[in-house]
Amino acid sequence: VKTLSFLENVKIYVGFDDASSAALREAHAVVAPHFGPIIDDFYEAIEAHPGARAAITGGAAQIQRLKGTLMRWIDEVFLGPHDEAYFERRARIGRVHVQIDLPQVYMLTAMDRIRVQSLTALRNAQGLPAGSAERMITALHKILDIELAIMLETYREDLLAKNRTAERLATIGQFAAGIGHELRNPLGVVESSAFLLARRLEQLKISDPSLTKHLEKITVELHRSNKTITDLLELARNRPLKRRPFAADAFVAQALAAAQLPAGVEVTVAGAEGVVIDADFDQLQRVLANLLVNAGQAMNGQGRAWIDVRREGARAVIRVRDEGPGVPADLRGRIFEALFTTKAKGTGLGLALCRRIVGAHGGALTLEPSDAGAIFQVVIPDATDRAPG
Amino acid sequence: MAADETKRVLIVDDNVGLAENIAEVLEMEGHETKVANTAAEGLSKATSWNQDIVITDYRLPDFSGAELVRRLKQLGLMVQAVVISAYTDDTTVEDARAAGAAFVPKPVDLTALGQLVRA
Repeated sequence: VKTLSFLENVKIYVGFDDASSAALREAHAVVAPHFGPIIDDFYEAIEAHPGARAAITGGAAQIQRLKGTLMRWIDEVFLGPHDEAYFERRARIGRVHVQIDLPQVYMLTAMDRIRVQSLTALRNAQGLPAGSAERMITALHKILDIELAIMLETYREDLLAKNRTAERLATIGQFAAGIGHELRNPLGVVESSAFLLARRLEQLKISDPSLTKHLEKITVELHRSNKTITDLLELARNRPLKRRPFAADAFVAQALAAAQLPAGVEVTVAGAEGVVIDADFDQLQRVLANLLVNAGQAMNGQGRAWIDVRREGARAVIRVRDEGPGVPADLRGRIFEALFTTKAKGTGLGLALCRRIVGAHGGALTLEPSDAGAIFQVVIPDATDRAPG
Repeated sequence: MAADETKRVLIVDDNVGLAENIAEVLEMEGHETKVANTAAEGLSKATSWNQDIVITDYRLPDFSGAELVRRLKQLGLMVQAVVISAYTDDTTVEDARAAGAAFVPKPVDLTALGQLVRA
């Protein structure tokens, strides 16, 4: 039994066939002269809605580029070919919407503006053969419903991935906490015994360089092991937020200190002065320090990074940019997954936990589109601005 | 109360090795010590010994170190209490403090613990 692909299945469901494709190709000639106004209307609607506008971070230049993309997109809606490759391209566009955190509601409503305006153009067309406009309208409804089904599917995929991440984190958390505490006990005995040995040697007035050296080694390595355990427990623990407003500049300075970046990394901070962030100071500092450490590692400890802080109404936005190689396109969707790492010695916990911390604030941690280096953006809405739940 | 500088310290920890080592460190500093490995054993030893300080782990096999401190206080059995724990979450720390004990995180800084006992 042949399993139907997602596209085949949806096509059959809405009754989209070769005749539908043909009707759309005919409709292209009718609607194409209206593409310009349709696209302008599309982005005007986005700009009029803060929730939708928030997904566009690159200003007018980005909108200009996006208009070009939308033009190609509408062209393809009518011209097809409506095959598996079409479906793949559409799914990719859908995933971009998910990545930039465009709320689903705007994906649906934006699609509706295109639908309504295209239908109007078809209805108003003069001199079409009898029944022809009706066929085109039906085909347009069908293809746009398929488009919506594809887009919704990408949102569902994303939700499933986030669920997997949450489950993995919970498992890792319990596992790490269990092991951490189990190791603490023997380490505590070793540490106190080393302490007693040192004291005993002192009492006996024994000063032997080799004994001292080995005792020191034991102590240093114990300290390191304890630190690893502490970090792991700290990371794995799901702490409740302690939110309060604080000054961004002092916050950034502390995160920079905590990141302990190598001397070769030069960080430029902009906009932090006078900005107030309403968040859990310690947890958000962990996020910023983590992003900075990643930036430093991505540049092999040598290069420039930028921290940009600004307030946008009832939310604070922090961006961290570096001039490293950036995140490969095929990995962009996965870097926030727990246990996923691109580093030789990474644990795959850092970004997953960062995203969880930011998510707990009702905010979003995203990897922004970029031509050079990586840009991570943290958005923290003020506490009073959060939606319930 | 024991003589100046010398204190009677009851140490309660189910990590036997650590309890013994804490005792040894404090004995080196001239204090008297007793070790128990469960809260119940700690309670029982405390009733038959006039200790100045109880140092107890928070997580014990039978009941918590904070609960032990509360019971000892109800019985009027000691003056000073220190709860030690690898669990440094707010609930643990607050429970220990609410019971009237000082909180020291694990891994235990033995020098600092010695100072706490001397003070």
